[in-house]
Amino acid sequence: MKYDVVVVGSGPAGSVTARFAAESGAKVLIIERRQEVGVPVLCGEGVSRKIDEWNMLEGKRWIAGSMDGARIYSPDGTMVKLSADMAGNETGYVVYRDIFDQELARQAVKAGAKIMMNTTSTDLLKDNDKIKGVRAKQFDEEFEIEADIVVGADGVESKVGQWGGIETRLEPKDLETCAQYTLTNVECKDAYCDFYLGKEIAPGGYAWVFPKGKDVANVGIGVLASLSESGMAKKLLDKFIANNPRLKNGEPIRFLAGAAPVASPVETVRDNLLLVGDAARHVDPITGGGLTCCLEGGKIAGETIGMAIEIQQFDQETLSVYEKNWKEAFGKKLKRNYLVKEILLDFDDKTFNMLADSLKDYKFEELSTLSLIKALVLKHPTLLMKLRPLVKISSETKE
Amino acid sequence: MGKPKAKVDKKICLACGGCISVCPQDALLMCGGRAYVHEENCISCAICIRTCPVGAISGEAY
Ligand SMILES: Cc1cc2nc3c(=O)[nH]c(=O)nc-3n(C[C@H](O)[C@H](O)[C@H](O)COP(=O)(O)OP(=O)(O)OC[C@H]3O[C@@H](n4cnc5c(N)ncnc54)[C@H](O)[C@@H]3O)c2cc1C
Ligand code: SF4
Ligand code: SF4
Repeated sequence: MKYDVVVVGSGPAGSVTARFAAESGAKVLIIERRQEVGVPVLCGEGVSRKIDEWNMLEGKRWIAGSMDGARIYSPDGTMVKLSADMAGNETGYVVYRDIFDQELARQAVKAGAKIMMNTTSTDLLKDNDKIKGVRAKQFDEEFEIEADIVVGADGVESKVGQWGGIETRLEPKDLETCAQYTLTNVECKDAYCDFYLGKEIAPGGYAWVFPKGKDVANVGIGVLASLSESGMAKKLLDKFIANNPRLKNGEPIRFLAGAAPVASPVETVRDNLLLVGDAARHVDPITGGGLTCCLEGGKIAGETIGMAIEIQQFDQETLSVYEKNWKEAFGKKLKRNYLVKEILLDFDDKTFNMLADSLKDYKFEELSTLSLIKALVLKHPTLLMKLRPLVKISSETKE
Repeated sequence: MGKPKAKVDKKICLACGGCISVCPQDALLMCGGRAYVHEENCISCAICIRTCPVGAISGEAY
């Protein structure tokens, strides 16, 4: 089997990369370990409405609900509200990730990509260190797939990068370990995504409630792996639900474990190799959200691949157009938010309460981590000392 | 008897991949929809055990 491009993983990053590569004329194969694209769902399913601008998903079946805003609760319950009227209606959706992923895969196939399910990549195929494709396994059959370009879209546990000599292993302090129930019989009286902070609630992370309907919500938790103990995320989530009057009578219709990288991005390009999405650590280190980067970065990757196929050059220098362009699109934001994450980790509950109190009546210009950071810097010049490295970055950053 | 090596309880594991992404020895991999420890590579650091959100990994003496 010989293709121009083999994409390992059919998550959003893989499908979007495949689509744009295929649209620019490349012969693309996606291989996916699972037996159904997007299943099981390992996600909180919240995404910014920014994705509308890119117009990559047709129809509305992937939307569970449109959100009017977000509320952040400090450890003592002080609420900071970021709402649609303050944020110019630019908020977001809660989606059905299985349908979302399948719609992106459908678009990739429509553009000409092929998908092979139940197929695991076990290694890179190399000829004297030169990457020539991947080794794959489908049930008991092992075979080789040749390709000029291999795309690692294999998610948080990515191996493709490591096989190609890119260090992608995460430090425990750069991973959120997560658990989530989808609960029914809970009260979702408005379309707000709620975030709960506090060392007792979620050390180094947060708990969330994202409504999926009038009585259904994703209720989850992320704990920083360096502060975690065996089974801690699930235990703290159960406690959070039991202590929350709105949630405690909920009944689960789904339970999942998850892992979200909150790291600095890695190098994403080698000769004949590219990394996208979680595999590239393209995730907002403050929120753990990765979907917008998957779509934006996947498009850039696919277009770069199209250009490389056209000129038949697959070396690192040619492919580094991808690296340059994703850095321009969201690289600075990830870098800045990584610094902010490190600073926030030093804050104790009292500081969070104080910060929330000072922002509780604040009018935010938009619903983004940037507008939150700006507000903090504005309100707390004393904290500026600590925040100084990021103020410089944030003044250069457009979101 | 050496230090306990990590062992995944297949009934509990939900295949989130967290343990795999933090193992310093590349000793974990996804196999048949569950995490699996390559005992020869495991150095008993327990990082995966602490990371697992559902408590599926324990140390087992050999
Ligand atoms: C609990 C939790 C909640 C989250 N909530 C949100 C949220 O609300 N909003 C948001 O934007 N982001 C959220 N994220 C992050 C988001 O889920 C990820 O950023 C996103 O799924 C990354 O997409 P991807 O395509 O890079 O990888 P994935 O979606 O992980 O896809 C990787 C694919 O590769 C396949 N694969 C892996 N290895 C191989 C192999 N060797 N061979 C073949 N196939 C392979 C896998 O089966 C999988 O299908 C959350 C993450 C977690 C864990
Ligand atoms: S104990 Fe350490 S070396 Fe062994 S599998 Fe777990 S993380 Fe890897
Ligand atoms: S961290 Fe736990 S649930 Fe996740 S893959 Fe590893 S053993 Fe399974």
